[in-house]
Amino acid sequence: MAEARDLFKEFKVQSVSEFFRRNAAMLGYTGKIRSLTTIIHEAVTNSLDACEEAGILPYIRVEIEELGKEHYKIIVEDNGPGIPEEYIPHVFGKMLAGTKAHRNIQSRGQQGIGISGAVMFAQITTGKPTRVITSTGGDIVEAWVKIDVQKNEGKIVKKIKHPNPKGWRGTRIEMEVKDVKYVRSKQGVYWYLKLTAIANPHAHIELVEPDGKLIIFPRSSEEIPKPPVEMKPHPKGVMVDDVYTMAHRSKKSSVKRFLISEFSRISEKKIDELIKYITALRLIKKEENKEIKEKLYEKLVNGDVDSVLKAFGRKWKKVMENVEKIMEKPPEKLTWQEAEEIVEAFKLMKFLAPPTHGLRPIGEENIKKGLMGILKPEFVTAVTRAPKVYSGGIPFQVEVGLAYGGEISSSEILRYANRVPLLFDAGSCVITSAVRSIDWKRYKIDSFDTSPLVVLVNVVSVHVPYTSTGKQSIADIEEIYNEIRLALMDAARKLAFYLGGKYRRLYQIKRRKTLEKYLPEIARSLHILTGEPEERIREYFLRLIESKIEVEEVEGVEVEEAEA
Amino acid sequence: MKLKRQKPKEKFSYDPQKVLKKLEDLAMRILEDVKAGKNPYFDVPTRGLNNVYFDEESRLIKLGDRLSKRYFLNVAHARKFMQTLILMAYIKRLVSEGKHASLREAYYANKHTIPGTKENTFEDQSESDPIIEDLERMLGVLREEMHITADRRGYIYGDIVIKDGEDEFNASKLGTGGWAVPGTVEHIQFPEVNVDYVLVVETAAMADRLIEEKYPKRENCLIVATQGQASRGVRRLIHRLHYEEGLPIIVFTDGDPYGWYIYSTIKRGSINLAYLSEKLATPDAKFVGMTMDDIKEYGLENVTEKLKGIPPDKKGGPTGDYKRLIEEMNYPWFQDKEWQRQLKLALKWGVRIEQQALANKSLEFVAKEYLPEKIREGKLLP
Repeated sequence: MAEARDLFKEFKVQSVSEFFRRNAAMLGYTGKIRSLTTIIHEAVTNSLDACEEAGILPYIRVEIEELGKEHYKIIVEDNGPGIPEEYIPHVFGKMLAGTKAHRNIQSRGQQGIGISGAVMFAQITTGKPTRVITSTGGDIVEAWVKIDVQKNEGKIVKKIKHPNPKGWRGTRIEMEVKDVKYVRSKQGVYWYLKLTAIANPHAHIELVEPDGKLIIFPRSSEEIPKPPVEMKPHPKGVMVDDVYTMAHRSKKSSVKRFLISEFSRISEKKIDELIKYITALRLIKKEENKEIKEKLYEKLVNGDVDSVLKAFGRKWKKVMENVEKIMEKPPEKLTWQEAEEIVEAFKLMKFLAPPTHGLRPIGEENIKKGLMGILKPEFVTAVTRAPKVYSGGIPFQVEVGLAYGGEISSSEILRYANRVPLLFDAGSCVITSAVRSIDWKRYKIDSFDTSPLVVLVNVVSVHVPYTSTGKQSIADIEEIYNEIRLALMDAARKLAFYLGGKYRRLYQIKRRKTLEKYLPEIARSLHILTGEPEERIREYFLRLIESKIEVEEVEGVEVEEAEA
Repeated sequence: MKLKRQKPKEKFSYDPQKVLKKLEDLAMRILEDVKAGKNPYFDVPTRGLNNVYFDEESRLIKLGDRLSKRYFLNVAHARKFMQTLILMAYIKRLVSEGKHASLREAYYANKHTIPGTKENTFEDQSESDPIIEDLERMLGVLREEMHITADRRGYIYGDIVIKDGEDEFNASKLGTGGWAVPGTVEHIQFPEVNVDYVLVVETAAMADRLIEEKYPKRENCLIVATQGQASRGVRRLIHRLHYEEGLPIIVFTDGDPYGWYIYSTIKRGSINLAYLSEKLATPDAKFVGMTMDDIKEYGLENVTEKLKGIPPDKKGGPTGDYKRLIEEMNYPWFQDKEWQRQLKLALKWGVRIEQQALANKSLEFVAKEYLPEKIREGKLLP
């Protein structure tokens, strides 16, 4: 017995650290450059989320100090609401448990693994705790946090309290990590922060690079985005595990009450329909004649549940009574099998489209501000599409921004999911393929690859369908692909209109120059022919040109001319 | 039939003041348009075959009324608009100063860099020549009347007194070379005309032969050598000799599509200069030879030449002479029974016959037998 218990303990101890090791890739800790980006991502995301929820305009400073070969000190500081002292160990020390993991909410983070994963990474590469300095307005708490791997809990190694005479609020974390590398590449911290700044124009973000260089991505919008709202899951979007787990956590009196209150678009009437569908499914499963079975199933798929029931004569009433019993029992008594039946029925039933109030797009104005503020283009436009649904019940929304010319020198696709920049796996991402599928020539862009054009695409959803656990590329789902294309074409039309106008204006200026160039010759000749003084003839022609050619002096045109 | 000088139909009418007025009127209109805030333009008659037609009444190739407008405010037109005015001003000075310039001189005189640019007013003579043609068509005034001349080609021999500027001379007293026809004949006058008709000869060799045989003296005619396709000066001279001096015109060319087209140009005008037909063409001109019939008539079968190119019934045909023959057959101004017959015979036999082939008989044959006989008997083609 004792031996078995020891073994079990051993097993448990390893499971958490093993989890982290095995799932390092899933959490973003693969490769030296990417691991560093992931740590920054987790910290910055926490800061942004916290500021949003507290209604604070974020000020985030990231410092990266090189301590040795592939050995860095990372400091991330924000002006957020701060962390209450008693939550520090939970926030930084507990994996797989956070404030959002169990809620159906659009979120940036990795749902509870985030920053504790970073603390863990620091710990296993340097053995050092993470230093957290935070204040919610009162005393400043300085704490060194480690993760107790055995208990999967945060442990404060050392704690000092400081007075806070200036009333500072916020959080600063400092950690030492090894096996990472700072490189200014498209997958590095610099690029990540730049893209984050574009998608979060309300944030002021600073970066101090290892060589001491300070880079500022200034705030370009004063508007704090509303924090995401929790949305009840839509029946079409849930998996068996969701229903099972939610039921067991529910405090409602019956399965029926649980379903009505915790899912969207489920009413009393829908419960009656659900009962009929589950009954029908049970009956069909028992049918032995394969042909009849298939026929009946087809009927059910077509929504004709009543005729399926009738096909079984009186038999169905008894089966239905059993199904009704499921609905009346306490939710914690719901079995896995029953949850399976419910989800199967959901798939066949029709529901109203899910609500979309929980989606939080960046918004056209803010995309424009973000692109304008960070990239300094000559033209910018954005399109936020209305929410749509994929897989029958998962709401999503697509938005697109285009930035052209100005300080932009090459083409770029900036991919985002819920405002989080996606830096890896671009090739397999639906955003990439949608952007590539556009015939840019139709929009006055001769070649996408050689144009000074930045395309931003943000896919917003409670469940972004990533292609892999790395969460760096979005799966090729037809509905999403089509929405991205529509948004791109809409925005590209605006770009084409701008470019058209620009060329028109340039043409007018060239035309005017051409005509004016010939004026001295014309005036001289007409003077010889008519005797009218040259100067007067020139004035007549200039007046004519003035009246017939409108030249709008527009920004950018000057630049073009100077370059030409 | 005896050819005789007839009554003049037209009087010499060149008046430099008229040319100047036309230039100034056009320029004034441009200036008025600009003053009124209108986009000034030139109405330029369209070039090319599609704006050319055969006028049945006058029996001339004439220019249609298709116009293209050349606007100042159109970027594609602006340069030509400027060039047109530059040349108009240049011509005004030439005419008022009584000086003449060649096409090439007109080009160089006006080629210069536009102030403040690297651009020339004219890059090439191919830019100035067409503008001068445009002006001829717009103003209805000959290039020669605008004192712009082309290279001289062709000469004249015979008992006629010519007044060219200060000089007066008899064209039969200048040696066997005759008098070279200048690029412009507008200023020339004929104080004395002692001939009955004009024989226009395609090749200089044949003209020389006839002069040596004293044909002009004996037949009391004028020889005009065109030396290939007749230059504008020669065509204008022929026109004037016919209309102002009443001289019948008889044309003598090779018996091939090229020679026949030379005749057609003298008689009907040309596609390129359709707008000048009334001043250059002579519809009353007649054709003496060579014809396909001459081959049989005078037994010249052995001195014919094969037509060049591929016949229409052969693969890749028709090309060369054959193609030209078929084109001529289709021209409205060749729709004459006699001519269609000649063209068909040429096609059928696949041969051509040169003027010089007559030397096969004897050197004197053409002057003493062929021409006098054909003309006396009126064996002429219309």
